[in-house]
Amino acid sequence: MGKLAIIDTGTYYHHRVIHEDRFGHFFDQAIYIRDLCKTDLSAITTLIVPCRTDPAHLVAHRKLFADFLNDGKTVVAMGSTGPDKWLDDISWRFTPTNFWWWKEGGSLNLEIAEPEHSLFDYVKLTDATWHHHGLLTPPAGATSLINANKAGSIFYDDRVTSPGRKIVTTLDPMYHHGNHFMPATSRFLDGFLPWLKSQ
Amino acid sequence: MGICLFINPIKGAGDDLPDIGSHAPNTAFVDQYDLDKTDLSQFAALILPAHIDQRFLGTRSDQITTFLDQGGTLVFNGHVAWPMLPELKPFVPLERQSLENLMIYRVNHHPVFDGVDCNDLTFKRGVAGFYARGSNPPPDGAIPLHVLGKEQLVCDWLYERPKGGRILMHSGNDLWMYIGSQNSTSRVVPQLCAWAGGE
Repeated sequence: MGKLAIIDTGTYYHHRVIHEDRFGHFFDQAIYIRDLCKTDLSAITTLIVPCRTDPAHLVAHRKLFADFLNDGKTVVAMGSTGPDKWLDDISWRFTPTNFWWWKEGGSLNLEIAEPEHSLFDYVKLTDATWHHHGLLTPPAGATSLINANKAGSIFYDDRVTSPGRKIVTTLDPMYHHGNHFMPATSRFLDGFLPWLKSQ
Repeated sequence: MGICLFINPIKGAGDDLPDIGSHAPNTAFVDQYDLDKTDLSQFAALILPAHIDQRFLGTRSDQITTFLDQGGTLVFNGHVAWPMLPELKPFVPLERQSLENLMIYRVNHHPVFDGVDCNDLTFKRGVAGFYARGSNPPPDGAIPLHVLGKEQLVCDWLYERPKGGRILMHSGNDLWMYIGSQNSTSRVVPQLCAWAGGE
């Protein structure tokens, strides 16, 4: 079982995820973002950067994240955190966010890229389907788990570019669960956090 | 007209957080972590975005209380998670987010919402729930402005503090999400800045 830590930016939507009942028990440690540089991470195996953490507040910790990965540990970068600014080997590009596909017809055209991956024992594609913020190009050797529009990845698992593991997504479930909005995002976390814990 | 000081919201990689920009003439901006270096006495209003570090704001409660005691206006957007003033209590979500419960009703008129149709607040592209999904409970003596559904959960309120100053509460997304809107909600931002600036 992994020891999970999550960064808390002090926003109300992170509060609901980190400090309230439904998901709070998954986290072994909550680290207030302004305390990150003075926090002992030695017992932690997985560090989660939740959706919409301002990249401006993460860039200063580039070395901390790199060192954490060099220790063979896992960094999870959620959507709207600008991971290309604070992690190495990330290729992200902006795409207009389609918030209204479900209302106005059409589809996000998501597809599972690696059906045998253990994530999908926990998460259904329908529960990963609301919208995404941009697209990722996984580095060579990394495994895309969910692709969009055959144009890029919205969720990948990278065990190759560091001694550790980077799980990178452009999904923002914590933000929407924290807003009491979009039930699929809560169902995504119902599967995603137990999966992370199982790793 | 006095100047409204907006705290800059966090910036993720999303494209759905509008800036107040030049949509009102009497605005100034500061990054949230520079608040402790800011002399609030030169401003008529302090306007907080939903995307803010409420834990940090809690460390500035004396500064904000002094600002209010001297007659300042505080506008709060978002859900209260870390109450930073005695007038603020933690957010209470709707028990059930049915369309009926998400309807916005005006119970008292206020200059910020003058000419704004409640249907335009309730629905965005025919979908309800963007405006508010619960309540930051008002203190005794506050005037309710908008309520949700038949339960009349108060989502917007105005509190004239006995010691001076006033608090305008909006228990939902930033009111400036209506910048550039094509219906009556386009009145909100200029009216908010005019009222908060003491016009």
